[in-house]
Formats: sequence, structure tokens, C-alpha cells
Amino acid sequence: MKRLLGILSIMALVACSSNNCPLENKVTCNYYFYDREGVAVLFPDTLTVRTLLPGEKTVYIYRKLGSATVTSDYPDTTYTNAGYSETITKARRDTILVNNATKRSSIMVPMSYYNKADTLVFTYDGISRRDTVIVTHDSYPHVELPECGTHFFHNLRSIRATDAAIDHIEIVNPLVNNEKKENVKIYLNGVAE
Amino acid sequence: MEWLSKALLSLFLLMSAHMVSAQDEPIVVLNETDTIRPTKYIAPLTEKPKLALFQGLTLSADILGPIIYLFSDYGSTEAALRLNLKNTYFPIVEVGFGKCKSTDYETDITYSTSAPFFRAGIDFNILKNKLMDNRLYVGARYGISSFKFDMSGPVMTDPIWGGSSPYNYRDAASTSSWLEVVFGAQVKVWRNFHMGWSVRYKQELHIGQPSYAKPYYIPGYGTTTDTSCWGGTYNLIFDLNWGKKKHGKQSPSDSPSATKTE
Repeated sequence: MKRLLGILSIMALVACSSNNCPLENKVTCNYYFYDREGVAVLFPDTLTVRTLLPGEKTVYIYRKLGSATVTSDYPDTTYTNAGYSETITKARRDTILVNNATKRSSIMVPMSYYNKADTLVFTYDGISRRDTVIVTHDSYPHVELPECGTHFFHNLRSIRATDAAIDHIEIVNPLVNNEKKENVKIYLNGVAE
Repeated sequence: MEWLSKALLSLFLLMSAHMVSAQDEPIVVLNETDTIRPTKYIAPLTEKPKLALFQGLTLSADILGPIIYLFSDYGSTEAALRLNLKNTYFPIVEVGFGKCKSTDYETDITYSTSAPFFRAGIDFNILKNKLMDNRLYVGARYGISSFKFDMSGPVMTDPIWGGSSPYNYRDAASTSSWLEVVFGAQVKVWRNFHMGWSVRYKQELHIGQPSYAKPYYIPGYGTTTDTSCWGGTYNLIFDLNWGKKKHGKQSPSDSPSATKTE
């Protein structure tokens, strides 16, 4: 009887003291790549995703006849010394969310807490054009357990994209939380061989 | 002629009845010196005592919950009224009050609630001898609590796009329910006063929650760190039938009675 009570006591302590927070605690909107026919593919190019931020920033543009135009967030004297002309202008602030992703079946992109819409700019190494994806959403804070901290969850409302490399885009699961489920399907131009 | 046939039939039936009674009658040879004394009827040992359906009420109070609250962030106090049916089945209603005020020191999130809860269910006495004052039982409960809770945490700042807002919610409403499997024991201490304990395995059925928070503690259930949890009680128990075992109403032929030998 004493042994039984001991086992039950240990079970009770263990059952009520375990940490049940998910190991991967980030909330991201998960985009998966498909060809135009809906076959899952690895994205064949190198992809960088930026998002536009509120406010403006100063941009330095360096041009030279016969050379590629260089854009920088900071002044660079190496270009002016090499004969480039410098143009200082204002541009929308942005930041990189996914940097040089290659051969990926999906990308995980964070979402804004307090904006109604996020603008994502997809740039590719192999294509000179860029794609712009605009996703509208509602956001709300959420606490699953106090020990897991606070998170912002999102409900996707709509999504649209330009057509440089994207054939069409659709929402498959509007709830964006930390469960890592597929939220958006990106159908790329062309058909996988 | 008809009267003759009736008379013969009646005579035949009368003779038959006399022959049957004569066969059943024990052969007793009495001497004149013998005295006829009454003998007490002794029921066969195999006959089980018949108990009335209603055997009284039991009132109990849990003392483990308040003790837990002294040493932790949450606890509860509860009382139960239990019906005793044939010392075997015990329909039970439990009413309590749970309280929690907790702060997680890693995330700085504070949760607080205090509300009543209700449980209803039945216990089954698994001891073979149902007339014992000690009992060992298994049972089941359905629990429900409708409560409001407060939850607050640090300011939430968007690390990429910027902006911030406080996380502070008051009077969030929730109605939650759960099931319990109970195993327990009770022993007689003095007269109709018993003490006992129970171990309970609890399983969430429904957790009512607003979008911004899941309740961390449900009165009567415990913390919601998992979809199931263990709990327990230590009870002071008072039998309100004053310790009497009521026997069922028996027919005169069943009741013990004195008989005389003839």
C-alpha cells in the first residue's frame, strides 16, 4: 500500500510540473511552393523576401555608364572614387525577412502585430523582375500558458501577388499560429518536369 | 345420478389431500414425560442480510485543498453530500471554491481567478463486505465551473514593424468542464466520524476561452498545463445516519420468529 501511494504521489508531481510549451515558439506565416499544376516543388532560384516598413530612409544610388547600378543604404566612397555618380534619394524603409533562400519547399515569414496589411517584396537571382505580395490580416495577442509567454496570432483575410515568377497564390489555412501549418500556397510559373 | 358422481369426486379429493398431508407429516413419538419447548428459528448462514435502499447521507469536507493553497499559488476548498444506497452505490454532489493567483517569473505573466465549481457523480464500494464501516471505492465525476479570470503581462512590442501595446485583460469569461475517475478509501475513526482520501485522474472535456488567453487554472480542475491532470482530496466525513444500519422491510415469513415444535 505504501509503495502504491508513493508511485501515485510521484505521478501526480510529474503530471503537474511538466513544461508543455512548444520547442519552436515563433509565429510565422508558412508559404509552400507549387508549380502551376499544383505539384509541390523546391523553389529553383535564390529567393530574398523583404517587407516594407513604416517611414522612409535615405538611399544612395551609384551609376556609371556601362556598369550595373548599385543601391546602398550607406554612402560608399569606393564607388565615387571609381567614377560612379552618386544620387541621394528617399525610399520606403524595408527589412529582410528571408535572406537568400535556395532550393526551398517553403518559407516561413513573420507577420506584423499592429498593421492590417503586410507588403512582401520577393527578389530572385535569376529573374530581374520582382514580385510583390500583399497580405491583409487581423492580429490578436494570445497566451496559451503563462510559462510560454505572449504571442501574436493572425487571421489571414486576403492575399494577392504580382506575376514575375508567381502564377497565382491562395490561402489554405487562415489561422497563423505557432503550429507550423501550411498557410499559403504559391503557384509558380511553369510546370515541374 | 349427478349428485352421486359429485359425491364420489369430493370423496376422492378429500382422500387424496389426507394422503398427501399424511406423507409430509413428520413421525414424532412423544412420551408423556416430554415437555414441548419453543425453539428459536436460526436463519441459514447463506442468507444475505437485506439492506434498505436508502442508508443515509454522508457529509464531507476536503482539507487538502486549503493546505495546498498555503504552499502554492492555487488551491480549493470543497464539501460533498453523498447518498448511501445499500452501502454500495454512493451518488455524490461536490461543491467547492477554487482560487489562484500566479505569476510566472520568467515571462512576467500574471493570472488570477476565484470562483465556485460543481461536480456530480457516483462512487461504488468495491469491498466485498458492504456492512463494514470502512470503504474502498471507485467512482466517476463530471465537473463544471463558470468563472472569470484576469491575465496580464509585459508590453508586447513588434520587433520588425514596430509598435507596442500592453497585454492586460480583466474579467475574461470561461465555462469549462471535465471528467474525473476517482479511487478512494475511508475508515471509521469514531462513531459516525470517518476520514478518507481520494486520488483523481482528471480529463478536460471543454475549455471555454477567449482568443487572447487560455485559462491557466480552472477551479475544481487545476492547472491546464496538459489536457489531463492528477488531483486528490483528504476528507473529514460525517455519516448523517448516525451509524445505524437500516434493514429492509421483510415479509412476516422472512422475519425471524419463534416457532413451536408440535
